[in-house]
Amino acid sequence: MSDHAAAAPTSTGIDHKKLIMWLFLASDCMFFGTLISTHLLYRKLYPTGFTDAEGHERFIQNLFDIELTSFSTFILLMSSFLMALAVSAMHKGQVASFRRNVLGVIAFGLVFLGCQVYEFTHFWQKGLTIQNSVFGSTFYVLTGTHGTHVAIGVLWLILLYFYSFTGRLRGHGGALDVEVAGLYWHFVDIVWIIIFTVVYLVEYLGPNGIWGAGLPLS
Amino acid sequence: MAHAAHHAPVADKTELPPERSDIGLLRPDRTTGLLDWLTTVDHKKIGILYGAFAMLFFLLGGVEALAIRTQLAAPENAFISARTYNQMFTMHGTTMIFLGVMPLSAAFFNFLVPLQIGARDVAFPRLNAFSLWTFVFGALALNASWVFEVGHLAGWFRDFAWYQSLTYTDFAPANGWFSYAPLSGTFGQADAALHAPRFTGVGTDFWIIGIQILGVASLAASFNFIVTILNMRAPGMTMMRLPVFTWMTLVTAFLIIFAFPAITVALIQLMFDRTFGANFFNPTNGGQPILWQHLFWIFGHPEVYILVLPAMGIVSEILPTFSKKPLFGYPIIVFSGAVIGFLGFAVWSHHMFTTGLGPIPTAAFSLLTMAIAVPTGVKIFNWIGTIWGGRVRFTPPMVLSLGFIWMFMLGGFSGIMHSAAPADAQQQDTYFVVAHFHYVLVGGVLLGLMAGLYFWFPKIFGRMPNATVAYVASGLVIFGFNMAFGPMHYLGLAGQPRRTHTYQAGYGWEDWNLVATIGAFVLGIGVFLAFANLAWTAFRGRRCESDPWDARTLEWSLPSPVPAYNFAQTPVVATRDAWFAHKHGGPKVGALDDGGPAGVHMPSQSWMPLLASAGFLIVGLAVPMMAMGIPHAGWAVVSGLGVLFLGIWLWALEGPGGYQLVTPAATPSPAPAPAEAAR
Amino acid sequence: MTSVVRLLKPALLALVALLATGCSKADWMVRQSAMDPKGPVSQVQFDVFMATVWLALVLFVLVGGALVYAVVRYRERAGQADAPPPEQGHGNPLVEIGLIMASVAALVVIAIPTLEAIWYMEEIPAERQPDSKLAAWYKGAVPAEAADEVLTVDVVGKQWWFRFEYPQLGLTQETKRTVPNELVIPKGKVVRINLRSEDVIHSFWVPKIAGKVDMIPGRRNHMWIQADQAGHYYGQCAEFCGDSHAYMLFRVVVLEPAAFAAWVESQKAPAPEPAPGSLAAKGKQLFAQKTCIMCHRVAGHYEASAGFGPDLARVASRHTLAGAWLDHRDPAAQAAIDAKGDTEVSAPIDPALQRRNFHDWIGSSGVLVDAAGKPLIPQDIKPGNRMHYYRMFNVAGLRETKTTLTQEELDAIVEYLMTLK
Repeated sequence: MSDHAAAAPTSTGIDHKKLIMWLFLASDCMFFGTLISTHLLYRKLYPTGFTDAEGHERFIQNLFDIELTSFSTFILLMSSFLMALAVSAMHKGQVASFRRNVLGVIAFGLVFLGCQVYEFTHFWQKGLTIQNSVFGSTFYVLTGTHGTHVAIGVLWLILLYFYSFTGRLRGHGGALDVEVAGLYWHFVDIVWIIIFTVVYLVEYLGPNGIWGAGLPLS
Repeated sequence: MAHAAHHAPVADKTELPPERSDIGLLRPDRTTGLLDWLTTVDHKKIGILYGAFAMLFFLLGGVEALAIRTQLAAPENAFISARTYNQMFTMHGTTMIFLGVMPLSAAFFNFLVPLQIGARDVAFPRLNAFSLWTFVFGALALNASWVFEVGHLAGWFRDFAWYQSLTYTDFAPANGWFSYAPLSGTFGQADAALHAPRFTGVGTDFWIIGIQILGVASLAASFNFIVTILNMRAPGMTMMRLPVFTWMTLVTAFLIIFAFPAITVALIQLMFDRTFGANFFNPTNGGQPILWQHLFWIFGHPEVYILVLPAMGIVSEILPTFSKKPLFGYPIIVFSGAVIGFLGFAVWSHHMFTTGLGPIPTAAFSLLTMAIAVPTGVKIFNWIGTIWGGRVRFTPPMVLSLGFIWMFMLGGFSGIMHSAAPADAQQQDTYFVVAHFHYVLVGGVLLGLMAGLYFWFPKIFGRMPNATVAYVASGLVIFGFNMAFGPMHYLGLAGQPRRTHTYQAGYGWEDWNLVATIGAFVLGIGVFLAFANLAWTAFRGRRCESDPWDARTLEWSLPSPVPAYNFAQTPVVATRDAWFAHKHGGPKVGALDDGGPAGVHMPSQSWMPLLASAGFLIVGLAVPMMAMGIPHAGWAVVSGLGVLFLGIWLWALEGPGGYQLVTPAATPSPAPAPAEAAR
Repeated sequence: MTSVVRLLKPALLALVALLATGCSKADWMVRQSAMDPKGPVSQVQFDVFMATVWLALVLFVLVGGALVYAVVRYRERAGQADAPPPEQGHGNPLVEIGLIMASVAALVVIAIPTLEAIWYMEEIPAERQPDSKLAAWYKGAVPAEAADEVLTVDVVGKQWWFRFEYPQLGLTQETKRTVPNELVIPKGKVVRINLRSEDVIHSFWVPKIAGKVDMIPGRRNHMWIQADQAGHYYGQCAEFCGDSHAYMLFRVVVLEPAAFAAWVESQKAPAPEPAPGSLAAKGKQLFAQKTCIMCHRVAGHYEASAGFGPDLARVASRHTLAGAWLDHRDPAAQAAIDAKGDTEVSAPIDPALQRRNFHDWIGSSGVLVDAAGKPLIPQDIKPGNRMHYYRMFNVAGLRETKTTLTQEELDAIVEYLMTLK
């Protein structure tokens, strides 16, 4: 985005683009922090989950499919690994290696999104909607916002993949563009690890879940 | 100064052939006139545009304020209806904060920061233009609600099916600038169309999307300014040599990037409640309206400092100049600014003392609020210390700055009164609070910004505002302001609540309300006169030299108006207040050998920020229209988002661009121009 | 520059004159003044406030004095314009640290009473439940000091009126006996106020008795109050709550314990029956026919409503109507009393004014029509209020036919309501 030559020296020694991405991520921390706090506050307030359309009390442990979510979490973590390889390749000027790795990242990102779409439809069918409970509202908006971040990241990486053929990614500037995208991608991953922990895993802490909702009924 | 000749005319911008981007786009480098202003990426022009729009919206907010005061001039007045009154105070607050003060501060950030740090532009010039246009379009979207409201009152829509099926007929927002849920949200169960019953109509939707768009503008600008300040300082310009205004800009920008996400999320949640029947703040389904208050004030209290810190920075530049003395205790002023920034995030619940927080949080927030008075007091002490032992010249900016200190101090005292939660239980939501924050925001911020306008106007346009008119305007503003808001202290203690469109006779409020109304009109005339003086000066004013005030910081070393490339050669700084030291026997300002015959590299202009921002305008209009049930408005939302993404994509494809601008031969600076202040 | 100083002098003098006139005691003894405390809670709040005022005054004199001194003493004098700049001092760490310490010390002065008052307001005196003597007390069997249980009042906020319930005394929604807009409490008694809201956020505020606490839907707030002087107190919703927020007033009537007991009994009793064949009796019939009973209860007459609107069993005994906006007392008589600085004393109800208020209130919003069906009072007295059946359903998104009244019908209904004392 910068109109100045990317290699121009800066007072801090950090490139403009990298610095602005760090600042954006700092701001995004507050963004996700607010969403996650909302979820946790309501979780503490209403430990028993939600009531579905038929009026049955539903418990979160029965709703979640922790195996699937663990799998998608693993996939996202691996995509970060590939992203690191892609950034490193670009710094070394190995465009072919960059393309391979970034395709991997894109594919893993799409798998993660697919899992989320599946999860959403599945939960919706089980009776958790955005309208019928506070849990539904906080859960869908929080994870949906994260999914949107992943989707934007995938779109960005697809563009970078194509630009690697047009010559726009040559030299220091290109490596910087990839690195900035990498920062974003890693951040989105880290946020997911937090969400996976405080939204999913804590429901399985102890026999009654951390919120003390009592034993799952069905 | 070095530049005898001013910057080369636009047609001579470049000797190189125009550059085309990957997909053949040509960047509008050779444009003039209106096209130049629409596509500019020059931080100075963007700053001027910010200032012009901010002053227009400021006057609009002022008209709204006068409508409020006219209605309250007499008990049971029927000048405007209850609904209109509520819309007026909602839009007055929202306009003044988001469309008046913040953009006016941004105008100063834009114009001054690169000049003060010795840079040729901001780090991301096109992002800067994007911030400007997003602000403008967000403001237009928000104010478009008035058009619909007028149409509603005039009956334009009577024949439309969507209008006939509306349950709620408020078109301009009427929730207050804080839009507390559930008044702004929903209650009860959502129907099949995912709509839960609510208390207000599309006015609230206009407000939500408008604030959301303005938030994007503020965030983008803040990222840009932090990078600029951290990364683009001239050699020798260490952090502890930064002019205080730049420091306060940095703190403000950090406050924005950490505070705005909270309101962004809160607005998303409220929008989901209203649009999709979610339950974030819907009390029927377990949502907690109090959460909105927490999220709003985690943003809202830092926002207060976002408004006031730039004005403090401005005054911290003006006082040393007209006392001919460096700022007293520069490091402490800087650190107290940073401390205010930190503590600003730890006092939000003092807006909620009456919500039943419980004794421990109430006590904690009381003490923290008292604590924040310390760094604020330190600033006042240091300003007085700056004057002490100096030689004070009473120019218009100095008179306004002294007014700032005085009024801000009074506002600080009533602030200390609020910090005591038990006393606040009586004052919360009364005119006492209205008096308090207007002393801070009008007596403080507005006077500070006006001082800044009169101080830097000669630099911006190379013309000196008429001093007599400026004194008269300042006098009217200060007198009218005190007449309008001084009595409100009494009214609040005598029990008049805020946000009430009328009151009965017999409560002892009649006389002082009338006085306040007359004062408000005097204030209005004063502000109008001050702005009119500036507007006239911009086109017709007397030309003046480049450093008329014998000022201290780098921007005054440049010709007025400042050439497009700012510094023909990047300055090298050896001390704080480098330009003053340079003129008065201290270390000289050096120069890098980077101007030269090859010229200065300039960023190319661009249509893309405007295009991307226009997407926001479409979204900002279409989302409320969708809420009204206007057919096909949903497609307009989609197309608006499409325009936004198209703008960003073409922006990325435009390529870096840029051209060389040849500067006049740079020679080391001769002796300083004789300082002569306008009296 | 001296001209600036010369200009400032009259301005300062005018300001002092303004402050002096604003400081006369009578000005502070207006109806809703927070500066005229009449109970322990408001007294404590007042004391804390005055502590901050005195601190602010001291700081004002010191800091403001220093500012004025510096500006006057160090102004540029004639002929100094081209002199070399003064000494370029950068500050003095000792002065700075001293000032910071002094500021902290000054704040400690107000922090201590603040903390004390926070806990004082929070902890309800004698909040003890066992062996209640309350029922015996309000019948006069036990002296007020001996009754240790606090009186509890549930306050419910609605757009735009207040509903008061006394669970210990059998005045609740369940018993079909509630009290709108006029909170009646005994003198010298600690009263626990439970604050609820059924729609948006409101705030309960009677400045002379206590500062405000918000009424937030989904949240259970409480406060305590005590009034040490019998009389009428003025209260108002203090949180913006929509169109007619300005019209959401209420009164607190403080009675001597014996009078309070009599009042409680009167609230429990069924409403008086109008004389058969009278206009009021016709009004009673119309009250049902014109769907008033959908929202309003009249104890002993119509108790089927869930109580969406205010209880009307004693509507004519109250001094106000429509969220205390329409006052039945003769304004001139009340103004004469207020002028003595004694706003707690209330003028009697003026029956003619009361009748007109009922007439205008019920007939507003186009309900009252002439023979041709043309509305006689088209505008709302309280915009957005749900007084009328059709309007209430419009809010919920449903369309309903409009109920109208002729002049005769309205007169009958007003006559009926006037009997409800």
